[in-house]
Amino acid sequence: MAMVATLIAILILFLTPYLWIVMTSFKTRLDILSDAPLWFFTPTSENYPTIFIDKNYLPLVWNSMIVASFSTILSLAFGTPAAYVFARYDFPGKEDLFFFFLTTRMAPPISIVVPMFLLFSVLGLTDKPIAVILAHTTFNVSLVVWMMRGFFADIPREIDEAAMMDGHTRGGTFLRVLLPLAAPGLAATAVLCFILSWNEFLYAFILVAFEGRTLTVGIPGLVTPHGTLWGQVAAVAVVATLPIIFFTFLVQKHLVRGLTFGAVKG
Amino acid sequence: MRTNRIIERVLDHGVAPLLLVPSVILLFVILLGPFLYMVWTGFTDLHYALPNRDGAFVGFANFRRLMQDDPIFWHSFWLTMKFVFGVVLVEFMFGLGLALLLFHYIKQHRFILTLLLVPMMLAPIAVGLIWKLLLSGDFGMFTYYLRYFGLADQQTSILGNPSLVMPAIMLIDVWQWTPFVTLVILAGLLSLPKEPFEAAIMDGARPLQIFRDVTLPLLRPIIALVLLLRGIDAFKEFDKVFILTGGGPGISTEMLSIYTYRINFRDWDLGYGAVCAFMVYLVVLIMCSVFYKAVYWNEGRSKTVGKAAS
Repeated sequence: MAMVATLIAILILFLTPYLWIVMTSFKTRLDILSDAPLWFFTPTSENYPTIFIDKNYLPLVWNSMIVASFSTILSLAFGTPAAYVFARYDFPGKEDLFFFFLTTRMAPPISIVVPMFLLFSVLGLTDKPIAVILAHTTFNVSLVVWMMRGFFADIPREIDEAAMMDGHTRGGTFLRVLLPLAAPGLAATAVLCFILSWNEFLYAFILVAFEGRTLTVGIPGLVTPHGTLWGQVAAVAVVATLPIIFFTFLVQKHLVRGLTFGAVKG
Repeated sequence: MRTNRIIERVLDHGVAPLLLVPSVILLFVILLGPFLYMVWTGFTDLHYALPNRDGAFVGFANFRRLMQDDPIFWHSFWLTMKFVFGVVLVEFMFGLGLALLLFHYIKQHRFILTLLLVPMMLAPIAVGLIWKLLLSGDFGMFTYYLRYFGLADQQTSILGNPSLVMPAIMLIDVWQWTPFVTLVILAGLLSLPKEPFEAAIMDGARPLQIFRDVTLPLLRPIIALVLLLRGIDAFKEFDKVFILTGGGPGISTEMLSIYTYRINFRDWDLGYGAVCAFMVYLVVLIMCSVFYKAVYWNEGRSKTVGKAAS
């Protein structure tokens, strides 16, 4: 019983900061600035329309969705066939190439974003969502390769052989037998890619400044040394995080595998 | 679908590795190309804010400057190292404790685990924002209770105090990432074989002995893995610090990523900035290759391991 109580205490400790920002997004300015923290208050819904409609933050949500969706689709399209090759074929330099994929996933954004910024300036792509989509695809494609290799490797090779016996070609086996079998893994990978892109800040912050801003890029500008409108900031934070919490519920089963690059199977 | 037909044709003609080409080309063009350009920039004096600094070749001058007369870089470097070791150690201890708690005392840990995961799935920039609100000197909920219990005096603003701000940022990181350690270690615990534990109980081992002599050794690969992953991630820390303090007050939270950002995008000293960025990359690359070896040793599926053994 003591242990359960401890656990509940820990849970409350972990969740309170987040609950606080959710509460703040429903508070009036006066309630936020009150001397003692207000746990009970009359909620207001004015913060959301003010920031998203009046101050025109809605397009940022749209940008975030575009960037996250397209980088996810691109990563899956490029990464899944590659993962299949890694799982089923042998060729010289295979493991070195696999390591290369890992380094691109792990590469610190700050050391890549500088030259990437120069490249996209030359190509005239700065402040366009496509720049961020490509940047996010570089780390997501590696995640897809690493995760999907594991999912394909989990399918016994006998299935391939049986499919070939049934008259499928190699390509047909991959597209019509293995891919459907790996679909749950593929879905989990897709959701994880979406989350990582949606949450990413530094690439987006450097590569798009005005029209193409994503939601995360819009957040720091709202925080000023004096007179931050916390109710509105909190509303942005809630919109930026709630979909992700929902997605986490969806993929929890595969989360361990995704976040450890397939090294630990959940 | 056209793409599907292409994939099918490639596979049917027995040239499967061709399917790697699109992703490799993408990474070469968007990532490796710019990266090599950056390495080149490191040998030049490119500077966007000063006149007559349009990228003339200067040899190893930038590297010399980094090694010999840039105390702030090394301040950032050691600050980052302290941060990495500090947070990884604390997160590991808390994470392990929490995982054991869940493993031994809670049958249905799925729902609880999902709730626990909330901090780590939030965008890091939102995490920074949440804590900026909680730690605000005037009306922060956290600051209020610290003062209420006499843990901080009326004037103290935690984020404005050079000696408190770094521990605060580390605690925030612990709050955010302990769930990740718990998640991975719990997955490890659940995958352990039952037999060694039964044997230990038969031999009359006490719980603490079982933990020390059976659980920990069996968990070692998982622990190594989670420490490395957290280490790499912590080393790259940028978002939270950027929004919480921007590196301040003074340079007391200016970690490596923040410093590199400042050199490149505030001072526009791209030549020297490239060298800083390269150093960050180098450290991560080293940690990365250790991770790779660890994973493969863990799974035993690799050719490299096979070659090393033969």
